[in-house]
Amino acid sequence: MNTNPTRRRFLALSAAATALLALPVRAQGDILRLAFIPQENPQKLLGDIGEITGWLSRATGVTVKGFVTIDHAAAVEALRNGDADISFMGALPFALAEAEIGAVPLLSEVYRGAPNYTGRIFVRRDSGIKTLADLRGRDIAFADPISESGYLYPLAEFEKAGLIDGPGNARAFFGRMFFAGGYQQAMQAMAEGLVDAAGASQYADLLLSPAQQAEVTWIAESDTIPSHVVIARPGLDPALQARFVAAMLRLNEQENRHRLQYLYGPDGYVAADPAAYDGVRAMARRYGLMK
Amino acid sequence: MRRSFLALVATLLLGAGLAGGSGTALATPAKEAPWLPEAASYRLTLFLGNLAPPPWEDIETAWSEPYRGSEFTQGALTWLDSQSELATAPLTAAIGRKDRQAVFAEATRLVARRIEETLDRALSSETPADAQRAVAMARQLYRAFADHISAADPDGARALGRAWLELASATGSTGVLGAGAVAPDRDTMETARAVISDYLGANYLVDSFAPRARLSAIPESVARSGADVDIPNTLPPGSDIFDQDPLPKLVLNFEEQGIDEADLPLIAYGDMLFDSPEIFSGPARELGISCSTCHNRSDINQRFFIPGASHQPGAVDVDGAFFNPMFNDRRNDPIDIPSLRGLRFTGPYGRDGRFASLRDFTRNVIVNEFAGDEPTPFMLDAIVAYMTEFDFLPNAMLTGDGQLTAAAPDAARRGAAIFNRPLAGLGGASCASCHVPGANFLDRKAHDIGSVQPAYDGARAGALDTPTLLGTVYTAPYFHDGSLPTLAAVVAWFDDTKALGLTATERADLTAYLETVGAADAPYEVFDDENTPFRLAFSELTTFASTLDTLLPRKDTRHILLLTDTVASDLAADASTMGNLAVRPEIYALADRLAQVGTAVRMGDWTAANAHWATFKSDADAIQAKAF
Repeated sequence: MNTNPTRRRFLALSAAATALLALPVRAQGDILRLAFIPQENPQKLLGDIGEITGWLSRATGVTVKGFVTIDHAAAVEALRNGDADISFMGALPFALAEAEIGAVPLLSEVYRGAPNYTGRIFVRRDSGIKTLADLRGRDIAFADPISESGYLYPLAEFEKAGLIDGPGNARAFFGRMFFAGGYQQAMQAMAEGLVDAAGASQYADLLLSPAQQAEVTWIAESDTIPSHVVIARPGLDPALQARFVAAMLRLNEQENRHRLQYLYGPDGYVAADPAAYDGVRAMARRYGLMK
Repeated sequence: MRRSFLALVATLLLGAGLAGGSGTALATPAKEAPWLPEAASYRLTLFLGNLAPPPWEDIETAWSEPYRGSEFTQGALTWLDSQSELATAPLTAAIGRKDRQAVFAEATRLVARRIEETLDRALSSETPADAQRAVAMARQLYRAFADHISAADPDGARALGRAWLELASATGSTGVLGAGAVAPDRDTMETARAVISDYLGANYLVDSFAPRARLSAIPESVARSGADVDIPNTLPPGSDIFDQDPLPKLVLNFEEQGIDEADLPLIAYGDMLFDSPEIFSGPARELGISCSTCHNRSDINQRFFIPGASHQPGAVDVDGAFFNPMFNDRRNDPIDIPSLRGLRFTGPYGRDGRFASLRDFTRNVIVNEFAGDEPTPFMLDAIVAYMTEFDFLPNAMLTGDGQLTAAAPDAARRGAAIFNRPLAGLGGASCASCHVPGANFLDRKAHDIGSVQPAYDGARAGALDTPTLLGTVYTAPYFHDGSLPTLAAVVAWFDDTKALGLTATERADLTAYLETVGAADAPYEVFDDENTPFRLAFSELTTFASTLDTLLPRKDTRHILLLTDTVASDLAADASTMGNLAVRPEIYALADRLAQVGTAVRMGDWTAANAHWATFKSDADAIQAKAF
């Protein structure tokens, strides 16, 4: 579910910070409620929400309120029961939310000119590792077991290469397989020589120091993965939905681009293409995450 | 010209501090991830505690207030009070006693206990999510020690690194929306935690620490062994050596005349030296600090800040304890970094005009302030040749002899009359008596205007060199210590301290005049899809390299190696800032090619050096043609 490393920092939501979680206001006709997933410093996230909802209120002409949920499941539950109208999440959580409650994709984040990205297998340039087959019996660090670019998609490259039959026997192929907790941790473990390879977003090497970046390369790249998506609950008033989408697309305009930093920091948004998620849906089924 | 104006997006969570890489210094710093409050305070304590004399007030503040730029609103002590059961009184008592060794011991044990406390929470967590958050936090706390362990005990660091990896991996996963959940592997968590805790117990939770001449987080077992550890120089949390944003416009006399810097090898070499940390030594070199770190684009780096060396952004004490202990004057007297625009007109040099010669001033900066080796005459010639090309920013509201043009506002015209009016409070002189409009608004003399507190009774050390007023709209704050935030504040200061008797309108008019004199038509570099920051950097670095056309035939080994060491590493570092990431491998290969020139020169193989240089040039041309 991770996307771009420059945008998604995985600072813990501390126990104290959970007290900051706001309760959503029950659905009102003239209020649009946004559910945010906590992936930043909670204090900063709350400030960001205030900035962006204030602007969206002015841009849409309706009151826009935001609140922080505890996790994806809570955000989807809020969408299901009408406590939230809109939320922001990765492609995999969206695919699951779509299957579970009929969530609707509205907008895709754009990063470096595209609404998608890839996962890669990174190695140190001096490791002598040139192909995926060279990693047999070697150690690898992935980001997280439910990360699209930090596990699911890179691992699928080993399947394509005929090196594993599926995720179930991946551990038998590698010497050790770790889930490091994020792109940063996986990449650092590889760069520092703690493991031989890392599976992470195509941009994850930008999380390394400039010197380290020059010392690493990648040997395999996955199919494209849709970037994070802005989703709506099923049944949201089409007119309200259209006003929200129009306002969000104004964030692409030069004078509004600075506001993107309050929304996880993409380069912009485009209208979401539901078909773009077919690969994610298929991947979720193959990994047993979705029926 | 300065290249490292790109704040890299890298967030170095596991590294410690703004650190130079090992080996050759890099002039491109990487932005680091936020520090947890207590880890930040610890690193600040180590850094400040190594200054002589230790700035005890700053050390106390390091624990009581958030570090500069922190994402946390609380200082470490308040944070710990809300987050931890640990007592902080022993630490604050040690700070109160100004007992350096005791502060080190208490702070070290506090951080180690915080790691243990957080690991306890991880092990007792009921859900993978809680365990992951606790492990992530413990790892961020461990960051306070990590780079020093790596330097002192590489095998131990590796074992700990694997333990952290095992621990994180064993926390399991909450899955997503109920799918893909993985239960924690508690046995593995316990085993991995034991590796970490055993190491902390043996090295950071000891009853007494051996006396530390240099405060560091190296393990106690290594410290007691007396092993010579090469501890990496890092800047503490809150430091900022990134370039300005927006990036100032650099006005070079030759460039404005359409002359290519590649055709001016002495100036191009001086430009390279201006950007080279290699001409310094010690912390400056290791941290990638060069002339342009403070004087980027001939302007002031208003964000430059190093705790203990800067009292505010844009200021630094260059004769303090950090950069060159030999030159430490043991006086806490940071000064506002001056602009170098129009440098050939602004002598004498130094805030008090102590150097008549720019060459002497430059040597003092290199050798004394930043501990560099004695520069060669060629190096001094080159860097002075480059710096004397710095021109003032063009200003359409001002003529060459300092008169207002028709483009100037009326308020400025009224202000000009006040500026040129003899004032009793100035002893019958006018503002223009010192800031001579026809002489770039300065008089090349030092005056005591009462802005400097005497260092002792009877001291006559308050005279400062008259600064130019050109370009000053962009050089705030003002005065030698940066004590006045705006030009309006400068006017008010003179009016108040010199009893000028100005009305509010006159103050406003005089300020308008200063703002007009200090304005510029285009003060900042404008980037777009064509003129990108990396393209500018690439062009500058290849221009630097062009001096090899002159140096290789002369077999000038020392100056060639200075160039290749500087430019090859910077070229590779700047590749990480490229928008066109697909071309990065070619930039790395190009940097390697330049490094090979240096390697061949070190071996005395001039044929190979020339061959590598020829390949570099053709490869650079090819990249230039397709990469942008």
